[in-house]
Amino acid sequence: MSEQERTVRPPGTCVPWEEQVKEFPPITGDAELVRRIWQETDGFGYVFIWQCLLSF
Amino acid sequence: MPPTTEELYQQRLARYTTALRNGKPDRVPIRPFVAEFVARYAGYTCQEVTHDFQKAFDATLRCAADFDWDATVPNMVWVWTGLVKAIGLKYYAVPGIETPPDACFQYLEPSDDDAHMRPDEYDALIEDPTGFLYNVWLPRVARPIQKPGEPVTLAHNLALVRGGMSMMHYFQGLGDQVQAMRERTGTVSAIAGILKAPFDIIADKLRGYRGLCMDLFRQPDKVLAACEALTPHLLHVAKATSDPAKQAPVGLWMHRGCSPFLSPDQFERFYWPTLRQIIEGLWADGIQTLFYAEGEWNPHLKYIAQLPERSIVYHVDRGDIFEVHRAVGHMFCISGGIPNDVLALGTPRDVRDWCKKVIDGVARDGGYVMDASAIMQNDTKVENVLAMTEFTREYGVY
Repeated sequence: MSEQERTVRPPGTCVPWEEQVKEFPPITGDAELVRRIWQETDGFGYVFIWQCLLSF
Repeated sequence: MPPTTEELYQQRLARYTTALRNGKPDRVPIRPFVAEFVARYAGYTCQEVTHDFQKAFDATLRCAADFDWDATVPNMVWVWTGLVKAIGLKYYAVPGIETPPDACFQYLEPSDDDAHMRPDEYDALIEDPTGFLYNVWLPRVARPIQKPGEPVTLAHNLALVRGGMSMMHYFQGLGDQVQAMRERTGTVSAIAGILKAPFDIIADKLRGYRGLCMDLFRQPDKVLAACEALTPHLLHVAKATSDPAKQAPVGLWMHRGCSPFLSPDQFERFYWPTLRQIIEGLWADGIQTLFYAEGEWNPHLKYIAQLPERSIVYHVDRGDIFEVHRAVGHMFCISGGIPNDVLALGTPRDVRDWCKKVIDGVARDGGYVMDASAIMQNDTKVENVLAMTEFTREYGVY
C-alpha cells in the first residue's frame, strides 16, 4: 500500500493539506492563502464522492 | 389587500416551523412529499421529470401554485438520472431507458456475488472510508471508471468530469428552485440536506441487504466498526448540506431499519447507536432531522423516545400514527399518516375521512404536519390530493 493510500482523511477531506504541501515547491507568497484554497477545492472532491453515495 | 408573495412566504414559514418545533400554529401546515405525482399533475411522463430536472422543477412549481401548499420539497423526484448516466452508475433503472417511460426509477439491488463491496473488504472501508469510495466503490458502480492501476481511458476521464460538472449543475439548479418557490409561489422549501443511517448505507450501496444480513451473523463486529467509521462522515455531510438558517430539517431517509427487516435486538445493536449519535450531533448544532420512518417503525418507539425533545420531526408511514402520538407526540412534531393506497385508490370522501381522523387524533394540540404516509408517486389521484389539501385548510384551523 502506498503512502497516499494510507493517508488519514478526516471528514471533508480527500488529500489533507499536510500531504499536498509536500507536492508543492517552496511557497514564495502567502502560504495561508494557498492552504485555504486547497482545502476548499479538495472539499469539492469529498462532496462529489459522498453525494454520489448518499444522493445518487 | 391580499398579502404579497413574500408576506405569504413568511406566514407559511412561521406556520411550518412552529409545527416542526411541536408548537401550535394558526392551522395545520400542509407539506406534501410529492414525487412523480407532479408529473401526473403537470402532464409529464416519469421519464421527463426524472431525466430533465427542469421539468421536475416546473411541475413542482405548478403544483405549489395551484394547490397553495405551505411547504414542499423542491424536487422529490430525488435521483436526477441525467447525472446517473453521465457517470455511468449501474444501480438504477432509468425511466425511458431501462424501464417504461411512465414508470418510476428503480434501485437495483446487487446480486449476492456482485455486491458493490465484498465481504472481505470491511477493513479497507473502516480504515479509510473516503479512499475506499474512490478506489474501490466508484470503479465498481460506475461502468467507465477504472480502478487504480488500470489503464486510464477517455471514457474514464469523461465520466469523472461529466459527473462533477453535472452535480454542480444540478445543485445550482436546486438552489435556484428554492428561490423560485419563495419568489413565485411563496412556498417554503420543506427540507434541506441529506442524511442516511450508517447501517442503511452499508445495506443500500455497499453490501446489499442480503449480504449485510449474512454479515450480521458471520462478522458482526466488522459491521459495527463500519457503521462507526461512516458516522463522522455522514454527520459532516448532513451538517454541510443543512439549512444555514436552521429552519428546515435535514431529510433522513431510512430503508432497512424498519420491522421486519431487522429484529429488535439487531436494531438495538447495529442500527440505532450510530444513527442516534448523528441525530444528537445535529441537534447539538440546532439542526432538526426529518425522521422519515418508512415502513413500520412502531416497534422502535422506545428508542425514538431516547432522542432529545424536538430534535426530530417524526414522519409516519406504515406505523399506527395514533400510537406514535401517544408514545412520542409530547416530544416531537409528527407528520404524514394519510395512507397512500387511499390517495391512489380511494375517493375524495375517503381521503377527507382519513384527514379528519388524523387531525382529531394527532393534531389537536399542534405539532402535526399534513402529508401522505410515503412519497406520492404517479398513482396518486389529483382529486384526492386536492381533497387532502382543501379539507386540511378548512378543518385544520386552530
